[in-house]
Amino acid sequence: MHSIPGYHGRYLRVDLSTGLSTEILLEAQLLREYLGGSGLGVALMLKEGAATVDPLAPEAVLAFVFSPLVGSPLTTSAKFAVVSKSPLTERLNDSLASSGFALAGKKTGYDAIVLVGRAEKLSILLIDEHRVRLESAEELVGFSNRKTQENLLSRFGPEFQTATIGPAGERLVPYATISHDGRHAGRGGSGAVLGSKNIKAIAVRGTRRVHWANPPGLMSLAKKLSQKSFGPATAKYRELGTASNLLMFNRLNVLPTRNFQQGSFANAVAISPEELNVTRDRTRSSCAACTIGCEHLYSLKSGDGSVRLEYENLFALGPLCGIDNPEIVLEATRRCDDAGLDTISTGGTIGFAMECAERGLLDASWLRFGDGNALLRALDSIVSGEDIGPLLAMGSRRMATEIGQDSISFAPQVKGLELPGYDPRGLQMMALGFAVSTRGADHNRSGAYEVDFSEAVDRRNVGPESAHLAVETEDKAALMDSLILCKFLRGIFADLFEESAEILSLVTGWEVTATELRATAQRIVTAKKRFNILAGWTPSEDTLPPRMLQKALPEDSRSQLSAERLASLIKAYNLARGWSEEGWLPETKPSNYRL
Amino acid sequence: MQVTVELFGIPRARAGVSCTVAHGATLGDVFLDLSRRFPALGDACIQGRSLKAGYTANLRGEQFVTDPAIQLKEGDSILLLSMDAGG
Repeated sequence: MHSIPGYHGRYLRVDLSTGLSTEILLEAQLLREYLGGSGLGVALMLKEGAATVDPLAPEAVLAFVFSPLVGSPLTTSAKFAVVSKSPLTERLNDSLASSGFALAGKKTGYDAIVLVGRAEKLSILLIDEHRVRLESAEELVGFSNRKTQENLLSRFGPEFQTATIGPAGERLVPYATISHDGRHAGRGGSGAVLGSKNIKAIAVRGTRRVHWANPPGLMSLAKKLSQKSFGPATAKYRELGTASNLLMFNRLNVLPTRNFQQGSFANAVAISPEELNVTRDRTRSSCAACTIGCEHLYSLKSGDGSVRLEYENLFALGPLCGIDNPEIVLEATRRCDDAGLDTISTGGTIGFAMECAERGLLDASWLRFGDGNALLRALDSIVSGEDIGPLLAMGSRRMATEIGQDSISFAPQVKGLELPGYDPRGLQMMALGFAVSTRGADHNRSGAYEVDFSEAVDRRNVGPESAHLAVETEDKAALMDSLILCKFLRGIFADLFEESAEILSLVTGWEVTATELRATAQRIVTAKKRFNILAGWTPSEDTLPPRMLQKALPEDSRSQLSAERLASLIKAYNLARGWSEEGWLPETKPSNYRL
Repeated sequence: MQVTVELFGIPRARAGVSCTVAHGATLGDVFLDLSRRFPALGDACIQGRSLKAGYTANLRGEQFVTDPAIQLKEGDSILLLSMDAGG
């Protein structure tokens, strides 16, 4: 086994059908070219031939991928990626989550854990360093994430860290999550992929540590990074949390409301963190090895504990469904967390169903915007599979196909993934990011909204000359998701590529430069595109829902994006990437991808 | 020149108000005025006549601006906010 500081240099491949596991070496050059996290994940997906397989078939591949920084003293580095083909989009899906599972998972002695096959019955996969075994999980059928994790804690003890699915994952809801310690690998349905393999939970433990190339230098840099993380660039996350976006987005008319029919919500104040801070108990929390502490948990009036509130679950289960009752938003969030449902896709799909019902396209007269009980009933039906649950469990794109009558024109999705809380008509760099992102409509793989909220562009009249800025934000995201570092740190880097090169050099001993890391980020984005092409991507799917391209937002006539202008942005983006105008990759030797 | 300033996120938390009236012919004048009247806001978000890194302003809900030399009109509205979105 070779020994690259920061890496174990191998991954564990577990065939759940046979129970056999294999250690597979990872070449140094592959690690250097794809780093870890999302980057190494897509490389493994291509190597395993996952693009052409049904994402819920036994042959499908699901990878838990760590990174060279996991276990280091660097703040926010305790992260892992879950990578697979998405059952929601049928394209590449890479979701990230944080904390103890990443630390314990890497200590098993592997840079990634790759699952194929399907266990005979619902099981727990235990990885205790090199010892791998399946245990029955039949007594956990239907258990929430919370109860499953409590059960496993008492069963295996605190040294094991667990990643679990809730009942939504067991039911193969294509937007089910994988949960660890209240956090989720949330988007794209990795929970359904794990559920399809009959795995309720993975429990990991180990003692194998990697070494660092330059421990004193790394400690010194880690200390500086931590100090900077206490500064003004992260104050918003630390003191208020991401939910504080709500009122600002509302003021700028980019807060998606009632299934994107409006860009502002009349009673946004009632559900804002500013109001919740006055009326409810609030506690703060953070992931392991994080100095920011962005998590803000608000108490439920019902007395049933407290709920982690982020902007995305607040917008999706609030304004998007017309809900202004904070107790309902918090309760809906809790139910999503317990069931293991992606809050954005859940809110997006229910909001879409509400509009269908109000238009008479869906026989559910009880389902109305603004009705909190209807929201909770709809949500419960997704988990139980009763009532209109099976329809809602399809996600908005497949549901629109089922309903017909041109409902696809207002289904809030790109490539099948529901849009997050940024109205693309008023944030047009983000519109481009949504359209071209390999994961579908997504704010984590394309941070193009940062450009919208700057002087670099007129956010309501973005032209093709600015498309390179979307490329830049996407490349930065690819780098951070592969190193892995939390994106809430991005504001503290003067030059992300330069400073990341220094970090990676101290960890691995490689003489890495900013130029190399820029090329690495581009390689990772291109590999994701390659996966999608193999999975059947065509240029027509790089677009936005017709609603977004037909009319301006009612509150703001300047917030309008025509199909022609979006097409010109996409063309400019593709050319800036070095691809064809339509987005096809140039002929490239497979050896360039080392796959 | 009198302008309205709406505050969001950390600027609001530091100033303790969601909206205020400020005076100045330029953006820099307004930042200076706000610093004098809301010292905690000044400490956290403003350096002299400019915003500190991590904060930005928006003029009339239209255009993001940070240049302290930008000329204002009577009755203008300025939004003061944290730069990063996301979440």
